Amino acid sequence: MTGSETDIVVMDSIDKSFPGVHALDRVNFRLAHGEIHALVGENGAGKSTLVRILTGAERQDSGTISLDGVEVVIKSPPHAQALGISTVYQEVNLCPNLTVAENLLIGRQPRKWGRIDWKAMNRQASEMLRGLDIEIDVTQRLDSYSIAIQQMTAIARALVISSARILVLDEPTSSLTAHETEQLFRVMRKLKGEGIAILFITHFLDQVYEVSDRVSVLRNGTLVGMYETANLSRLALITLMLGRSLTETEDIARQKIESGRHIGTDALLEAEGIGLVGSIAPFDLVLHAGEVVGVAGLLGSGRTEMAQLLFGIDQPTSGSMTIDGKTVKKYSPIGSIERGVALCPEDRKAEGIVADLTVRENIIMAMQARRGWFRHLSMSEQYEIADKYIKLLNIATPSADQPIRNLSGGNQQKVILARWLATNPRLLILDEPTRGIDVGTKADIQKLVLALAEDGKSCVFISSELEEVLRTSHRIVVLRDRAKVTEFAGDIDEHSIMQAMAGSEAEAGSEAMAGSGA
Amino acid sequence: MSAARSASRLDRMRGSRLFVPIFALAAILLLDLVFVPGFFKLEMKDGHLYGSLVDILRNSVPTVVLALGMTLVIATGGVDLSVGAVMAIAASVACILIDPRIVGVNLQGNITAVVGDPTYSFMPIPVVILVSLLAAIVCGLWNGLLVAFFRIQPMVATLILMIAGRGIAQLLTNSTKIIIFNDAFAYIGNGFIVLPFSLAIVAALFAGAWLLTRRTAIGLFVESVGISFRASLYTGINEKLIKLFVYAFCGFCAGIAGLIAVSSIRTSDANQIGLYTELDAILAVVIGGTVLGSGGRFSLLGSVLGALVIQATQTSMYAIGVPASAITAVKAVMVIVVIVLYSRQVQDAGVIISTRLGRRQTAA
Amino acid sequence: MMKSATLRRANVRKFLPLGATVSLFILAFLAGVVAFTAMRDGQSFFNLFTTTPFLLILVVGEGLVIISGGIDLSVGGVVALTTVASAALLTDGWDPWLVIPLMLVMGLLFGAVMGLFITYLKVQPFIATLAGMWLARGLCYVISDSEIRIYDPLYKLLAGTRILIPGLADPATKKGDYITVLVVVAILVLAVGTFLAHYTQFGRTIYAMGGNNGANEQSARLMGLHVDRTKVQVYMISGFCSALAGIAYSIYVGSGHGTHATGMELTVIAAVVIGGMPLTGGEGYLVGGLFGVLITALIQSLIQFNGQLSSWWTSIVIGALMLVFIGVQSLLSTMNARQLTARRLGTTASGSPASGKRRAILRDRRFLIGAAVVVAVFVAAQAIGMQSGTNGPNGASASCQLKPNRQDRAAELMKGGAVIAYERNGGAGCVDELYAIYPDGRIVADNGTQTVEKKASPPEVDAMLASINDLGWFTDNMYSTSHTPCAQCFSYFTSVSYKGQEKTIQAVDGGTDAPAKYWLMTGKLSTLVPAFPAPQ
Repeated sequence: MTGSETDIVVMDSIDKSFPGVHALDRVNFRLAHGEIHALVGENGAGKSTLVRILTGAERQDSGTISLDGVEVVIKSPPHAQALGISTVYQEVNLCPNLTVAENLLIGRQPRKWGRIDWKAMNRQASEMLRGLDIEIDVTQRLDSYSIAIQQMTAIARALVISSARILVLDEPTSSLTAHETEQLFRVMRKLKGEGIAILFITHFLDQVYEVSDRVSVLRNGTLVGMYETANLSRLALITLMLGRSLTETEDIARQKIESGRHIGTDALLEAEGIGLVGSIAPFDLVLHAGEVVGVAGLLGSGRTEMAQLLFGIDQPTSGSMTIDGKTVKKYSPIGSIERGVALCPEDRKAEGIVADLTVRENIIMAMQARRGWFRHLSMSEQYEIADKYIKLLNIATPSADQPIRNLSGGNQQKVILARWLATNPRLLILDEPTRGIDVGTKADIQKLVLALAEDGKSCVFISSELEEVLRTSHRIVVLRDRAKVTEFAGDIDEHSIMQAMAGSEAEAGSEAMAGSGA
Repeated sequence: MSAARSASRLDRMRGSRLFVPIFALAAILLLDLVFVPGFFKLEMKDGHLYGSLVDILRNSVPTVVLALGMTLVIATGGVDLSVGAVMAIAASVACILIDPRIVGVNLQGNITAVVGDPTYSFMPIPVVILVSLLAAIVCGLWNGLLVAFFRIQPMVATLILMIAGRGIAQLLTNSTKIIIFNDAFAYIGNGFIVLPFSLAIVAALFAGAWLLTRRTAIGLFVESVGISFRASLYTGINEKLIKLFVYAFCGFCAGIAGLIAVSSIRTSDANQIGLYTELDAILAVVIGGTVLGSGGRFSLLGSVLGALVIQATQTSMYAIGVPASAITAVKAVMVIVVIVLYSRQVQDAGVIISTRLGRRQTAA
Repeated sequence: MMKSATLRRANVRKFLPLGATVSLFILAFLAGVVAFTAMRDGQSFFNLFTTTPFLLILVVGEGLVIISGGIDLSVGGVVALTTVASAALLTDGWDPWLVIPLMLVMGLLFGAVMGLFITYLKVQPFIATLAGMWLARGLCYVISDSEIRIYDPLYKLLAGTRILIPGLADPATKKGDYITVLVVVAILVLAVGTFLAHYTQFGRTIYAMGGNNGANEQSARLMGLHVDRTKVQVYMISGFCSALAGIAYSIYVGSGHGTHATGMELTVIAAVVIGGMPLTGGEGYLVGGLFGVLITALIQSLIQFNGQLSSWWTSIVIGALMLVFIGVQSLLSTMNARQLTARRLGTTASGSPASGKRRAILRDRRFLIGAAVVVAVFVAAQAIGMQSGTNGPNGASASCQLKPNRQDRAAELMKGGAVIAYERNGGAGCVDELYAIYPDGRIVADNGTQTVEKKASPPEVDAMLASINDLGWFTDNMYSTSHTPCAQCFSYFTSVSYKGQEKTIQAVDGGTDAPAKYWLMTGKLSTLVPAFPAPQ
């Protein structure tokens, strides 16, 4: 595939693998002069890897990159910057304790007789920002301004430093208010008018439609396609993003129908209008014993926020929650565990595993925490429990004494799962439990979830893979833009869910609800 | 499964962190064997055992005691710089309770006769010990409060008590030095049951610490909090309480060290007791394999060995004839060597483990 | 675009720490001037500088290191090493104009080595500079075990020169307020340091590197700043300042010894913190360090002027001040963080959710309360001290007035045939009791108001003399010592005549200076001598 003359960046057959993961599979990507090009894809689709290769933080295993028709090898981030590729990340990589002017010009401050000329620097800085239609006092500390302004500062610096021709914006709007996002878009359009190519990575589909000319969709390491934004319907976009990733298995479907018969009628957990300002809008949720409730929604729709609220990590700013009819007064992880609620967090590395501890220790941890400091599980008891779950979940480890950081991601996830299963919870919240796990194990976990339901436990199953949510859930809650949109029950079909996620006017949801069975 | 279990235990030991301190200790003793004649000679006099080896053990007592407490604090990712000052505070409290003239208490009868009496103590000795240790624990809780609840950086939080603590100790004793005549109290630091009595205290403390950390969940929780604070929180571990505990325990150990120190010199010298001992304690823990800064896995035995390494080096230097004052320079070199050793060892060890893992997986 | 209220608040936040430090200094100084007439002399202000030039120099180097996000514990050690090394060289006859630059180079190299360890071997600054401190102090003793006095004329000149303050001094009579050359050097160093910090790339990189738990260092690197090079250089500067401070110190005290500057690193770090530079780095002004040093010197002066409080109150107050300032710093950063999160979560830019605001106000109040408590404690201690004059270490402020001893009377008694003259002076009642024991068994006791006589037997007196002799009374192991007694304590004077030898030994109880056997002697004597009946 050759690029046209208007393409400033041509990435050809980019392939990249990490141990156990084929991150990018011969991806062809184009970026044209003077366009705003959106890049979308769920977690694990390969977005960040592609961007890191373009900005010099990683090197591709194979494939070529050309800038303006000239093939280049991007050695490092500074090198990328020198080539004209500037990046602004979600965490603004500036120094918040320095002034705006300094952040813009540090490293190339104007001098007078050998010493830094602050007046000239401040003047230059103001001019730079005026070029982006921003008028602020550049002598103030950067952190006295909003994230939006900080990002603009980062953009301004990026543009000037390397007379950038390509601006990569990595999830720039995640921390912005609607008003600030508008400001950013204004700046982006202005830059586009000046011929700068902007690569806009985001998970906010509305914003894709608002500001981008073209959109590229990545899924499971492959470039699904590149489209003119105006010609792509929202529904089509979501379908492309989620696609079909697993094959149907009859067993699981049968299991689900079986377990569906044992759902209790009393509410195990009842949340009424519970919400956290800035995190997730107030929602209602009822969970029964023996039930699997799936949560479907795109990245950024509030899935993890919902899980964290239910588990008590965050204190809600509105609404209330009862468990077994008793109102929850103090929200804390310890309290939730005592009430029989468990959470398998999304971020395995930071919130799940305790890296240097062994598999055995990771498994018995929550159980031990519940027993307190002094009712120690003896070593033989610990080994017994660990061995039981290693076998049950088929955890691939040479021994129970292996440090968990030596295990593959999938097996680590299984260990975390085992940790919570060992506490015999009544409600198990699973946030992306099958991310980064091989197909066979995914099926295992889904079967396990249904088995738990059969056992009388309640499960909340959060996943970005619609397929498995459908397969394992008796009911599905759909989230969109940090709010619960609707619920589906009974015979649910993928199409309706995707429509709900896309937010099409035709609320297929209400129809599905009306037709829901027991 | 059990075969794999025992094999990996051996594996752990071979590549274990204890390798460095054991190796260092062995190396020093070997050098002594070769270069210092009579270093290993042990004599029995009046029912007491004497010799360089005994000297090493006895002189290492303060560092070992402090290192035991410091290990847990460092394991949670913190550090306690105030242990020397807490030693002085505990010593001062003990001395005031034995001889409270300094604080204005009117002693009955002929003062010098009374105080000079080796059985005299204003408060009964067990009370003296108890109250002093309590004072030390309170100091530890203060540190724990600042770190766990006010989220102040451990180095900064304990620096405050380090600076103010000595002042407090001096204040308690009105800057005067009191001689302790009481024999029972002096036994703590000077008594002998074949070996110095203080060693018995150390052994008991070590046993207690080991039981507390390895036969309860405390050890696991401490390591967990150090390795991943967030994961521990989500697992339901009360990390605030854990941090409070480790600083209180460190204070307790400092109290014991203070009592031993003051009883062995039989004087309350708030200025000198425990001076610079925190640095030795931290070094002992670092040599023993617990990582300063990030914390995580700890080894009480490693810290004890680390303290012995420091002391053995010191005693050997004396034996060889290096002037006492140059010892600090030698210690500095040792620190540097340890640092370099560990920084590369960590890297190399990582390589070794991953290759061993690869071999085992293909074998299985 | 931005509300001016937010900007004003931001400005306040920028200068709050420095403002707090300066205000504290002014307040404390005014309090001192009001309370002590001695402080009204202008020189007492300038003495804050003349007694601390080395600290002022150190605080510049340490300040830069701390702003960059690191810490340097070796400063005291390098100061000591500099004093010893320079003293040794000067005594060997080296020219001081050669020695001084050489020492400065040594400081630079020392700092460079530590900087390299920290930057390239990734050693934590705490540990690396700790090792530096040990090494430096150890090297002191390798050079010399004992104190080396400096007799160099240049040093003496620099130590003694007084620079009169124009307008406050009379050049004709050479009297008036003055500062020393060292102070001028220190001010120069501060000026250079400030210039570096604010007008050079190097200085701005230092600010960029610090703070934010190391995240700023990452950002600075990404922004293309030469972080590694700057790190090594900042430790070199600290080493240079330490060496320069060492030269100043050796001029000030006139000698070199390994025990000099013990604990100085702590004082410097405390001064940096009190000066408004958080230990996490990234902010603060070096001039704050100047005020931090002045405050510590001021506290020391105030306590000395007071005389009631033990000098150890200095370290307690400094510790308390550090706590307050650290509290302020963490408060400010939490406020900052909360504001940022509030914005991110979509709440208004100028406010936080209602409960958060309440908490913030409460924390502000807590800080104010904390500061008020520290001031209150200090004032209360002053007041208490002035009122009761209780057990100070100086017996002079005890509740009774000590009587003078009567050793001339004791000498008379010995000439008159007494074999033992035993005087004890002091105690809670400020008594002075003089006992004379004669070989015929007679014991006369006199406490100034009463006289008591007792008859013991000659063998008892002989036995007493023999046992005192057995204690080694007439050997070199028994000697006189003296120190200021506590309120309850006694001074003892015992003269013993035995077999032609006579020796008087003085001791004060409540201390460790006297030979232990002395107290065995007093114990024995106290069983022999009569007691005074209680006064009617």
